[in-house]
Amino acid sequence: MTKEFTLLSLAVRNLKRKPLRTVILAVAIGLLVTALVFALSFIRRVDSSIKMTSDRLGADLLIVPTGSRGAAEDVLLENKAKSFYMDKGVIEKIRKVKGIDKMTYQTYLVTLSGLCCDVPESVVVAFNQDTDFVIKPWLTKKLGRRLRKGEAIVGSESAFNISVGLVDVDSVLFGNVFKMVGVLDKTGTGLDTALFIDESNIDDIIRKGKSSIQPGQISVVFAKVKKGLDPYKVAGEIEDSVIEVDTIARKDIGKNIINALRDINQIFAVTVTLASVLAAFLAWAVFSAIANERSREVGIMRAIGAKESHIVKLFILEVFIIGSLGSVLGIISGTALSLALAKSFTILKNISTDLGIVERSLIALSGLAIGTGVCIIGALSPVRKVKRLEPLVVIKGE
Amino acid sequence: MPQLLMENIMKSYVIGNESIHAVNNASLEVNRGEFISIVGHSGSGKTTLLSIIGGIVKPTSGRVLFEGTDIYSFDSDRLSEYRCETIGFMFQFASLLPMLTVKENLMLPVVFKNGRRAGGADANERKAVELLGMVGLGDKINAYPSQLSGGQQRRVAIARAFMNDAEIILADEPTGDLDEETESDMMRLFKKVNEERRITFIMVTHNTDIAKQTRRQMRMSQGAIATL
Ligand SMILES: Nc1ncnc2c1ncn2[C@@H]1O[C@H](COP(=O)(O)OP(=O)(O)O)[C@@H](O)[C@H]1O
Ligand SMILES: [Mg+2]
Repeated sequence: MTKEFTLLSLAVRNLKRKPLRTVILAVAIGLLVTALVFALSFIRRVDSSIKMTSDRLGADLLIVPTGSRGAAEDVLLENKAKSFYMDKGVIEKIRKVKGIDKMTYQTYLVTLSGLCCDVPESVVVAFNQDTDFVIKPWLTKKLGRRLRKGEAIVGSESAFNISVGLVDVDSVLFGNVFKMVGVLDKTGTGLDTALFIDESNIDDIIRKGKSSIQPGQISVVFAKVKKGLDPYKVAGEIEDSVIEVDTIARKDIGKNIINALRDINQIFAVTVTLASVLAAFLAWAVFSAIANERSREVGIMRAIGAKESHIVKLFILEVFIIGSLGSVLGIISGTALSLALAKSFTILKNISTDLGIVERSLIALSGLAIGTGVCIIGALSPVRKVKRLEPLVVIKGE
Repeated sequence: MPQLLMENIMKSYVIGNESIHAVNNASLEVNRGEFISIVGHSGSGKTTLLSIIGGIVKPTSGRVLFEGTDIYSFDSDRLSEYRCETIGFMFQFASLLPMLTVKENLMLPVVFKNGRRAGGADANERKAVELLGMVGLGDKINAYPSQLSGGQQRRVAIARAFMNDAEIILADEPTGDLDEETESDMMRLFKKVNEERRITFIMVTHNTDIAKQTRRQMRMSQGAIATL
C-alpha cells in the first residue's frame, strides 16, 4: 500500500521549497503564542490562586485594623511576613453588629532570623482553637487533636519545613522553645509558609520581650455572616460602628493585587496584540511572495483541472501547517517560560497554587487557535488573489 | 450529434489601440474518435484555438458545444471538471510542476478529480507507472523535472494528459523538441490510443510528414481554419 498522493502531500512539498522562509514565519507565530501563553498562564495563576485562597479561608468577612487591608492580603495571598495589630476589644464591638454568625481571630507575629528565633523569617500565626474555623479543617486531619502549649505545627511550604525536613524537633521562637509536632496539609493560601501556635503562647512571648506585640492585641478577625444576609451590608455596618477596623468581603479578597495587576495585564494585552499584528503582517508578506512566485504553477493546475476550491485548500493547508506548527512551538516555549520565570516574579513566587492540567490545556488550546488564526487572517488576501487566477495558456517557456 | 461543435469562434486581443483576431470566425465539427491535425504559421492562432476547445480561454464570441452543451455556459467548477476529466491537454511549453517528481506530476490530475478512480491510491500509481513506461520513461518515475531533458519533460506532459482517461486529447506541438525516432514512437502511441479507445485527437504540428499521417488535416492562417 503506497501513501496516497493528496493536496496535503502537495502542500507539504511546497513548504519544503523555501524552508528558511517557512521556519521564519513559524517562529514568528511561535513567538506570538509564547507571549500569549505566558501572559495567560501568569494571569490565570494569580486569579485562581486568589480565588482559591478566598474560598479556603472559609470566612465571608475579614476584619483588620484600619489601613491594613493591603498588609492582610500580603500575608494571606502572597506569603509575605507582615504584622499589624488592633485591640482584642474590637471583637465585642463587632459582635454587637447584627448579622454576624460566628467569628474567630488570629494574631500574626513576624520572626526575624537570628534575633529572636532560629527559623528563617516567616509569619507565626497564633490562633484561638475554641473558635477557629480557618485552620481546623487542615489541622484535625493532620494532628487529630488540639495543639498544646509549647507546640507548633508548620505550613506545608514553610521555609522551616523545607530546611529542617522533619518534625518532632525543638526550635526557638521568640525566646521560647517550641516542639514541631506536624506539617499542615497544603491549603493553597499564603498561610502555607507560616507556623501555627495556640494563642495561649502569646503571654510567654510577650514576657520574653522578643516580639513587638503588646498584651491584648490581635491581627485579624474572620467572620461568617448569617445565612441569606448580604456580606457587603454587614461589612458596611461594621465599618460604621467600629471605627478602628476595615473590612474585606470574601469576593474582594485580592482586589488590591488585581488592581495592581491591571497595568501588567494591559501591557500583556498590548504586547500580544502588537505581536499578532506583526505576525499577521509577516504571514501576509510571505504568502504574497508565494502567490506571486507560484502564479504560473497555479495557472497550470487550473488548466489541468484544479477547481478554485482546490487552489484555496492547497494554500490554506500550507498556512494552517505553518500556523499550527508555530503555535505548538509557542505553547511549549510559553509554558516553559512561565515555569522558568515563575521564580523571578515576586507575586508568582509568593502565591502557592500552580495551574492544573485542565487550565494549562485551555491555555494551550487558545494559543493554538490564536496562533493559527492570526496566520490565516494574514494570509487571507494573498490566498484570495490566487483563488482568482485564471487557467494559464502555456504559450511561453519558463 | 458531433462530439465537438465550434460555431463562429472569435477571439480578439486588444493591445494598445489595435485589436488582434487570434481566432477569426472558426467553425469546426469533430466526431468521436477522429484524429485531426492542424498546421499553420507561428502566430496563426493554433494554440488559442486549442485553448478555447480545452475550456481554458473563453472566446470573444461564438460557442463551443461539447455533446451539445456550450462549455462556456458552465459555472467555474463544472468547467474545471471538463478540463480535468474530458480534456487531456499537452501544452506547447513546459508545464510540469517543479517540486513534484515525474510520477507525482502524473498523479496531480487525479487529485483534482478528487481521487475518484476506482481502485484507489494503488491503482492511480500503477496507472502512472504504466503510462511513464509507455512514453519510455519507466526509469525516471522518481526524478524531478529539473533532472530531465526538454524532450523527456515533454513526454511526461504527454503521459499526464492520459492520466484521467480523457475523451479528447488536445496536443499542441507535442513532438516539438523530440528527436525523429521518439517522435515516431509518440505518433505510434497516439494512433494506437486513438484507434483502440476511440479517443479524439486534435493535434497541432509543424511537421507536415506527421500531419500527413492523420486522416483529417486542417490549416490555420491568420485566425481562420480550413480543410487542407
Ligand atoms: N494572451 C494573449 N494576449 C495578447 N495576444 C495574444 C495572447 N495569446 C495569443 N495572442 C496573440 O494571438 C495570436 C495567435 O497566437 P497563438 O494562438 O499562440 O498562435 P500559434 O499557436 O499559432 O503560434 C498571436 O498574434 C499572439 O501574439
Ligand atoms: Mg502555439
